[in-house]
Amino acid sequence: MARAVKIGSGKDLPKLSKEICEIMLRDLEKAQRPVLEAVKCSLDNSFYNPKVGFLTPGDKKVRTELNVSSVQKMARAVFMLEILLRNIETGAVNNKRELYYIAKGVVKSTPHLKPLDFQDQDESDAIIDFICEMFESYREEWNCFANDRGGQTYSQQLVVTETMADGTKAVIDLSTLGTSPFQPKNKPQSLQLKAKKKIDFCLIVESEGTANTFVSNGFTKRNNCILLGAQGVPSNAVRGWCKLIQDQLKIPLYFFGDLDAYTLQNIYRTLKAGSAASLIRNSDFSAPDVKFLGVLPEDVKKYELHDYAVKEQDVAEGRALKKAKDALANDPFFQDKKNKKLADVLNWLLKNKRRCEQQALFMVDPKDPIMPEKIILEKIKKGIYI
Amino acid sequence: MASVQTNSKITTSSTAEYFAKNLQQVGFSSPTKAVLTTLKESLDNSLDACDMEKILPEISVEIKKLGAGSQKNTDLISIVVEDNGPGIDPDDLATVFGEYLASSKFGRGQCSRGQQGIGISAATTWVQLTNAIGVTVMTKTKRMKKAVSAIVDVDIKKNKGVLRKKETEDWDKESGVRVEFKMDGRIQLNGEAGLITYLEGTTLVNPHLTLNYKLLDEPWVKIERVSQEVPEIPPATNPHPHTMKLGEFITHAHLYGKVSCSKWLKSGFSRVSDQTLQEFVKAGMPKKLLDASVNAMSEADFKAIYQAVQNTELMSPSTRSVLSIGEEALSKSIARLGQVDFFSVITRKPRICDFKPVVVEVALARFLDRGREEEPVQVLRFANRVPLQFDKSACAITQAIESVNWRSYGLNQPKDSVPLGSYVFAVSVVSPFIKFKNASKETIDASDELVEELRRCLMQAGQKLSRHIRREANAEDLERKIRHIEQFGPMLVEGLIRITKANEKRKKLAEEGLRQILGRDAEAAEEKLEESESRLKQLKGKGAGVEAEDVIDVEKVEGGEAPAEEVKADATESNGKASTKKAAGTKKAAGTKKKK
Repeated sequence: MARAVKIGSGKDLPKLSKEICEIMLRDLEKAQRPVLEAVKCSLDNSFYNPKVGFLTPGDKKVRTELNVSSVQKMARAVFMLEILLRNIETGAVNNKRELYYIAKGVVKSTPHLKPLDFQDQDESDAIIDFICEMFESYREEWNCFANDRGGQTYSQQLVVTETMADGTKAVIDLSTLGTSPFQPKNKPQSLQLKAKKKIDFCLIVESEGTANTFVSNGFTKRNNCILLGAQGVPSNAVRGWCKLIQDQLKIPLYFFGDLDAYTLQNIYRTLKAGSAASLIRNSDFSAPDVKFLGVLPEDVKKYELHDYAVKEQDVAEGRALKKAKDALANDPFFQDKKNKKLADVLNWLLKNKRRCEQQALFMVDPKDPIMPEKIILEKIKKGIYI
Repeated sequence: MASVQTNSKITTSSTAEYFAKNLQQVGFSSPTKAVLTTLKESLDNSLDACDMEKILPEISVEIKKLGAGSQKNTDLISIVVEDNGPGIDPDDLATVFGEYLASSKFGRGQCSRGQQGIGISAATTWVQLTNAIGVTVMTKTKRMKKAVSAIVDVDIKKNKGVLRKKETEDWDKESGVRVEFKMDGRIQLNGEAGLITYLEGTTLVNPHLTLNYKLLDEPWVKIERVSQEVPEIPPATNPHPHTMKLGEFITHAHLYGKVSCSKWLKSGFSRVSDQTLQEFVKAGMPKKLLDASVNAMSEADFKAIYQAVQNTELMSPSTRSVLSIGEEALSKSIARLGQVDFFSVITRKPRICDFKPVVVEVALARFLDRGREEEPVQVLRFANRVPLQFDKSACAITQAIESVNWRSYGLNQPKDSVPLGSYVFAVSVVSPFIKFKNASKETIDASDELVEELRRCLMQAGQKLSRHIRREANAEDLERKIRHIEQFGPMLVEGLIRITKANEKRKKLAEEGLRQILGRDAEAAEEKLEESESRLKQLKGKGAGVEAEDVIDVEKVEGGEAPAEEVKADATESNGKASTKKAAGTKKAAGTKKKK
């Protein structure tokens, strides 16, 4: 009788790997089919727990039992596992693209492994994801890092201490960087934050360019704050960084972005509660306390912001509307009463089919370059956010 | 009203004059097409003559270049067609070859290839126009001791044939006709409009034909008959009154001369009886007209009768007048086209489409030695057993093929196109009243009812074909699984051994265990394959008495509403054997591995 491999709660990945391989080998010796189980990372296995504030996985597992159809996947998983374990052992780090080429290099030097060769990166990525889900681990724990994207941070008060791979520490005082931003890393666990002076809030701006403009216009000089640009859908680095700011500095976080379905449902929801695809990492890669500062429907009215109709014929906009509709119907985050106001905004967007960009704030007083800053501060002060 | 005086004079032309000026309308629109049409008209006549006299046809065709043609960019071509038919009475030679609309078959409602009496006279005209000499004919009937040969010209002004150089000579044949056309033309052997395609198509739908042919410098090719039965030509049928227009209706009446209207209606049409006449009266036909002489009736009278007839519900015409090639004969005949991998054949029961009896037959075959996977299938279209090679896009057959979703049967098919693959799709329509789009009979008119009937037939054939394709998919699946076991199994074990640092003994034990696990899967796949094999064999088994080499895929469809049960066997014995062997081979291989 085949037995499913159970993953322990500890995260000594090399030890766990050996245990799993040992179980698989023993099963094979007994002519039993080894079964690998991984968390099912999909919306139908996502639950929103309002107490913790992010999406958590349910009980559903993806079972991969050894048979003629799965033997290739299993052989490839063990092959990639060996490469990842070697990286952990030597302390080497790589991104997924590099691992794809490393796998190709191993095949080249070991011709009889040719059938395991990955034809393109999608194939090797899928195997890496499978390993992560199987071990309920982050790929960073396997020394596999994504390219750092987004999250460029500015502050006159923040000091970051980074623990390096060799144990040494680097201290970065963001006020000394001039106009250069601090780029958060994909491994937030190695960062320690400290405020030189009391920090009042953290503002996360959807557009990297607008965040830069705010800094250039003196936003961080006038305010005791942290200002960062999300650069679209937040990367793991941005998500982990925001979580770190929330937990270590315990300051209010505000998100400022476009008023449209894509921003609300993709960008903001992912930042605040994580995503279904990354269920196993949402606990460390989401910032549930972040508030939606705007643009809100009432801002459009109050400041007479220019908005425009959503082009349903446009493929991307049409898809965003459809996804928003699906989210209202199926996404536990929007279905929870805690997030009712956000769901109301999403409903408003679907009903009115209008959208307004964050940069529209610059039209309120074209002669005053810091008018958007004034509006943002006013909204924070008056509590006009969700 | 102003009148304009001109010097123009109204003249009349003979039928021959008309066609001499409009030969493109009857298939002589280019030198290339002229060669094919001439061959086609001559071969059609030979086959029709043999069929009428119940003679198994043996026909030889020789086509060669004699030199340069009289027109620019043409060759002087000789086309010789010789048959073993009943021969033509020498007195009829001039009429047959030199007179337009002189036909023994015109409008009589039989499934003959020729219908109007235009084609062969047009060929003679082309010969005469391009080479200034008529067609050379030799004929002998059973009653004649010697053959008669002559040259036939067309007197274009009078639409009459003229015999020249009439001679008698010895011929060692009991009966037959030999005809030689020397004319300007160009020869295209291959492709959709090629001579070889025509000859292959003709042999396909005439299983009882033995054909010898020599094209240009190629050696003689002999294709033996695969059926010893001359098709039974069903008796002629009268037209159904609902198929006629008013003008045709009146013309038809005058063919009967001085008879009463009731007699004309009853003897001149199918499905008209005394009771039907009463219904015509109820529908508005003046009762007094029943006894009136047809000759004495006015156009208004005809119109009144015509309208009453159209307003009366009539029984559909009889389907007894249609002839089919038959699935068994078609199944054997298709093997004459090349090395068949597998095929399916469907003959539908005669149906009424547009008030005309029609039989649709379809043969779908995959070949090992013709066509390519990425190219469109070769479509062979037939009307009354004559290949149609031009203007395919407008044809009912092509439209029906394109309207079927072949992807559901396992074939590749670009949107709204014929499917792809090394297949031949042979589709035959037989009817005493086929509606063509033009006088050269190149395209069948795509009426909704006919296209639907064709679709049904094609879909049934497709369903049978899909069984073979599915079996192939099963075989491929098995091969893939075996390949997976052989490739990835040892690598999985190796990886586990390296990570756990286990010893050689454990490695061997794990490999053995893996083979057992995956061997079971392979066996399950093999069982699935064998199951589909045996299901196919079971179907074949019902065709008792059929030789293995001749195993055919025959399905008789009654009514044709839904896919019918297969009553005979499948054509893929050779392929089936190969697959079984392959499966057995892999099983053996798997078995051997287990023992290691």
